[in-house]
Amino acid sequence: MRNFSNRYIFIYSAVLVAVVALVLTAVSLSLKPLQQRNQRVEQKQMILKTIGMTSTPDNAEDLYAKHIEECEESGLTYYRFDGGVVVPMHGNGLWGPIWGYMALDSNMTVIGAVFDHKGETPGLGGEIASDQFASRFVGKSMSKEPIRLKKNADKSSPYEVDAISGGTMTSNGVTKMLEETHKQYYTLLFGCHDEK
Amino acid sequence: MMKSKNWKLITLPFSKQNPITVQVLGVCSCLAVTAQLKPAVVMALSVTVVVALANLIISLLRKTIPPRIRIIVQLVVVSMLVVLVDQVLKAYMYDVSKQLSVFVGLIITNCIVMGRLEAFAMSNPPLPSLMDGIGNGLGYSVVLVTLGFVRELFGSGTLWGYPVMEKLGLYNIGYENNGLMIMPPMALILVGIIIWIHRTRNQDLQEQ
Repeated sequence: MRNFSNRYIFIYSAVLVAVVALVLTAVSLSLKPLQQRNQRVEQKQMILKTIGMTSTPDNAEDLYAKHIEECEESGLTYYRFDGGVVVPMHGNGLWGPIWGYMALDSNMTVIGAVFDHKGETPGLGGEIASDQFASRFVGKSMSKEPIRLKKNADKSSPYEVDAISGGTMTSNGVTKMLEETHKQYYTLLFGCHDEK
Repeated sequence: MMKSKNWKLITLPFSKQNPITVQVLGVCSCLAVTAQLKPAVVMALSVTVVVALANLIISLLRKTIPPRIRIIVQLVVVSMLVVLVDQVLKAYMYDVSKQLSVFVGLIITNCIVMGRLEAFAMSNPPLPSLMDGIGNGLGYSVVLVTLGFVRELFGSGTLWGYPVMEKLGLYNIGYENNGLMIMPPMALILVGIIIWIHRTRNQDLQEQ
């Protein structure tokens, strides 16, 4: 086996790292616009979905521009559409951030909701991103109190939704997120509805 | 002559030298990403691409790599490839990349990659190394896809998101999904069963 001097080793590793850094920077810079577009489109698709509009990544931006109006009031962002508002939600699941959007009509009844997550367990907590989970929220209410996720939820109650079996920690995170959202947006939204 | 030898490098890891069932490498990720079929397939492809390219690059560099820092050199190359795969997935397959989340990054720590670099690419020319990488990647893929198929079908009653069990009307006659299937322990049991069947059919794999 060839004997390598210390000097060779140092230069070798320095060059290797520099080359790798160069490649990564180039790729990252060239792919960044595409990645950011994906994120933007995804957000718009989520908002459109809460008001019952299915969109493809191609037509999402047009549909969004047509139907959604972005608003900001006392530091809170929300989205106005014909028939109500969409509020954004942010919280923490078991492994990382979770978020979602919820479309509410003027009585604070849920028209539609979507949830997503960064790294919840696929098949367990990750199920919050499924349509099946989101559909449990339709018709529930965020008026007097926030919606809670519970085991064996009372289907007739407007404030209870079935939690995910095997995804208790994530479900708790969703409950907490709903509580926060309710607290933040309650005055704002009720205030503006009362004026109407 | 050379051709059949290279071909063998691809086919051997499918069965007699399967990285998961015979070499027992990369088991961790195969428990983590196989709860559903789609992430399993994308993960399998990503690992195949990373092993193949890492093998090729390391094999090309093998005569210049100082033995004392070879592991670090391998790691740098593997990390670079993994970050590239991650970036490409984020740009072109955004939904899948979100589903795989941290597991793409964890390809770096997949023992198959480092194992093949150390055992093969460091001492073999580029073409056979590339073949060996593809072969091992595909050997890993076979197991991953099998697990993903079984676990999604019996754990969630769907395949690639399509509600198979519901369409078959099994829920109406009292069928229920097996919750254990989507937990990692069941994946380990399934891997055990695959190894068992594999060894029963290949007597020469059994230790005396």
